[in-house]
Amino acid sequence: MFFNSLDFAIFLPIVFVLYWLIPKKKINSQNLFIVAVSYIFYSWWNWRFLLLILISTIVDYIIGLALTKQSIPGKRKTLLITSLVVNLGLLGFFKYFNFFVDSFTSAFSFFGKELSANSLNIILPVGISFYTFQTLSYTLDIYRNKLKPTNNFIAFAAFVSFFPQLVAGPIERATNFLPQFFTKRTFNYVQATNGLKQMLWGLFKKVVIADNCAEIVDYTFYHTDNLQGSILAVGAILFTIQLYADFSGYSDIAIGTARLFGFNLKQNFAFPLFSKSIAEFWRRWHISLSTWLRDYLYIPLGGNRGGSWQTMKNISLVFIFGSLWHGANWTFIVWGLINVAYFVTNIAFKNTYNTIKISSNLINTLINYGSILLTFCLTSLAFIVFRSENLNHAFNYFNQMFSSSLFSLPEFNQTSKIANTTLMVLLLLCIEWNGKNNLYAIEKFGFDWNRLLRWCFYSFIIFLIGMYMQTTFSPFIYFQF
Amino acid sequence: MKYFASILFRFILFAIFTYLILLLIWGYMLPNALKPNLNYMVGGNGFTNSRLKELKQNPDVDVFAFGSSHTYRGFDPRIFKKHEISLFNMGSSMQTPIQIKTLIKRYITKIAHKKVILEVYPYPFCLDGIESAVDLIANDRNDKHSLSMALDINNIKTYNTLIFGYLNDQFSGKSDFIENPIFENDTYVNGGFVEKKLSYISCTSFNEMSWNYKETQFEVFEEILALLKAQNVEIILVYAPIPKVLYNAVNNQEIFHERMETYGPYYNFNEILQLTDTLHFFDANHLNQIGVELFNEKLIEVLNGDGLLKNK
Repeated sequence: MFFNSLDFAIFLPIVFVLYWLIPKKKINSQNLFIVAVSYIFYSWWNWRFLLLILISTIVDYIIGLALTKQSIPGKRKTLLITSLVVNLGLLGFFKYFNFFVDSFTSAFSFFGKELSANSLNIILPVGISFYTFQTLSYTLDIYRNKLKPTNNFIAFAAFVSFFPQLVAGPIERATNFLPQFFTKRTFNYVQATNGLKQMLWGLFKKVVIADNCAEIVDYTFYHTDNLQGSILAVGAILFTIQLYADFSGYSDIAIGTARLFGFNLKQNFAFPLFSKSIAEFWRRWHISLSTWLRDYLYIPLGGNRGGSWQTMKNISLVFIFGSLWHGANWTFIVWGLINVAYFVTNIAFKNTYNTIKISSNLINTLINYGSILLTFCLTSLAFIVFRSENLNHAFNYFNQMFSSSLFSLPEFNQTSKIANTTLMVLLLLCIEWNGKNNLYAIEKFGFDWNRLLRWCFYSFIIFLIGMYMQTTFSPFIYFQF
Repeated sequence: MKYFASILFRFILFAIFTYLILLLIWGYMLPNALKPNLNYMVGGNGFTNSRLKELKQNPDVDVFAFGSSHTYRGFDPRIFKKHEISLFNMGSSMQTPIQIKTLIKRYITKIAHKKVILEVYPYPFCLDGIESAVDLIANDRNDKHSLSMALDINNIKTYNTLIFGYLNDQFSGKSDFIENPIFENDTYVNGGFVEKKLSYISCTSFNEMSWNYKETQFEVFEEILALLKAQNVEIILVYAPIPKVLYNAVNNQEIFHERMETYGPYYNFNEILQLTDTLHFFDANHLNQIGVELFNEKLIEVLNGDGLLKNK
């Protein structure tokens, strides 16, 4: 079931009403209800893969309990490794099996040896990358004595399968999220209206911005060889906006939905398009994944404590792991490596930049805006590789884009499509800029206005969705990860 | 919770009201290019407005023809009249079974006990029917059948156009609109036909392709057949000629033919009549007037031969 579908529009109000009809003292009943509706939500896509969620849930529940009973370090380590093998094994099989088989056979044929190996027709279970990391955080935190395990299986199952964030995050930490399943949840008017507002803004980003950009982006990536460099540049810029609007839109709907049920999920995007550096961009983009990688990979590897080379090595490992998390394709790995290069350059320039003192406010402002623009351009260039079908396609895209036609006026076939999309993107950027210090862009928009004006604004957003949404259905991009 | 429900309910009412107001503002004040999900164009391509107005004034004909632009550009009532058959052309651009069902339900009293030619070009069976639906909404009265059509299509563009259509019918109406019978090289001919100034196709080609038929359109088509049969209407299914380059490029028409043959008397004039692309078509889809005359004469001959056209 997709958030941008009629099914969800019917499912959500029913589940919302039934949930709050359960007496608030019966937390366990509420949790059981969450598990049931989450499984229904997931089954809408494919009920067979519920088994994987169940395996993940049962294994980490049992290992979590066993870890506290076990004080011998070696045995504790064995338990942790069991959890890692089961979770990463399932993830690896479904996500990377074909990639490794194909890569090995290609490598052998490159050296003149023909190797016969069959890749399997494997469907990637939706959300597996997200809930696997979520359950792993639980086991890892218990192993590191940062969390006490729960002996309430229902609450734990609800924590793993909570439907608003089951299929595309945010990846929640057990330390933040699990305790919420044990506290009494009472309906809160402010929290619920905030949730609805965030859902509205998320839906706008998805169906108006992302889906309209997608049509132009798809066109530029499908017809790379025949288009002007300037059109390909527009395609690359719009892809960055599409990806942001699509994924942050999903996150907004997920966080907003969770609020309706009395839960607080972590912010997943903090206006990354306005970042002044690559390092800042990665602190603001897909926060739940980048902090996961920071806490469970970068810091255990030593972080920045071992000198420059050690830091570079750790950063590279984190980016390569993070890029592979997105999927089994060389394009993701190269995209990760480009970001490593950006990051390293960023660190080197940061040291130089910090020694320069400029007293002029105007120059500082210009530098700030320039930094935002530069960061946006750099990330857009890297995302070309992310979006390409393969490395050859990416190379072609760059080659064609950086031709002499890059400086020609783009000639589009569908001028009205471009005009409408540009208008909507500008509106998005204005509202996001205005609200960039909040949790989501319209959180405090018109906070000091009277209710009528605020309602006019929300109604206007609804109208824009109705008037400018893409009429052909397209799923969220991050579902494929 | 009660307070939340009450506020939410009031907001929903407010949002609906605002939506309607903004829809009117957008509909009346903005150019078409800036309202992608609202396409309310009275008149325009295809002469649907003239055709449906004429239908309301023209009480009695023998045969009705439904279908896409292949119908209103392919079935010439003047040729049928020469054979003492009165035909009214109900085709419209990109008309799919969903719109045919709407028109039949709306004008069932005129159609009952008559003959109906359903021009069954396979491509409309692959469409969702949005473009034809908004054409119908803008150029005919809007009633419960329009709502049923919008629900069948279930697309925001159709809903917006229908709501605007209802509002527009209330506030300004469209009965006073008079369509110019000549638009560029097209001339509207009484009986619903549109004649194109004689021209010929320039060289064209198609890559091999498959059409993705929508099962829902077939389901609606079966509803239409049941509806017509219940009204004692004789049904003839006709696949009008299209250029050979297009006909031969589509590699999955066989299943379509097989299906049509199960529905009733089916005539595929791409096999029955051999036309020449460069002489008998004005574009990659439509017959020119020379092609229309050849096709219509052959159609009448074949149908008469099978005793389907003239009253027994």
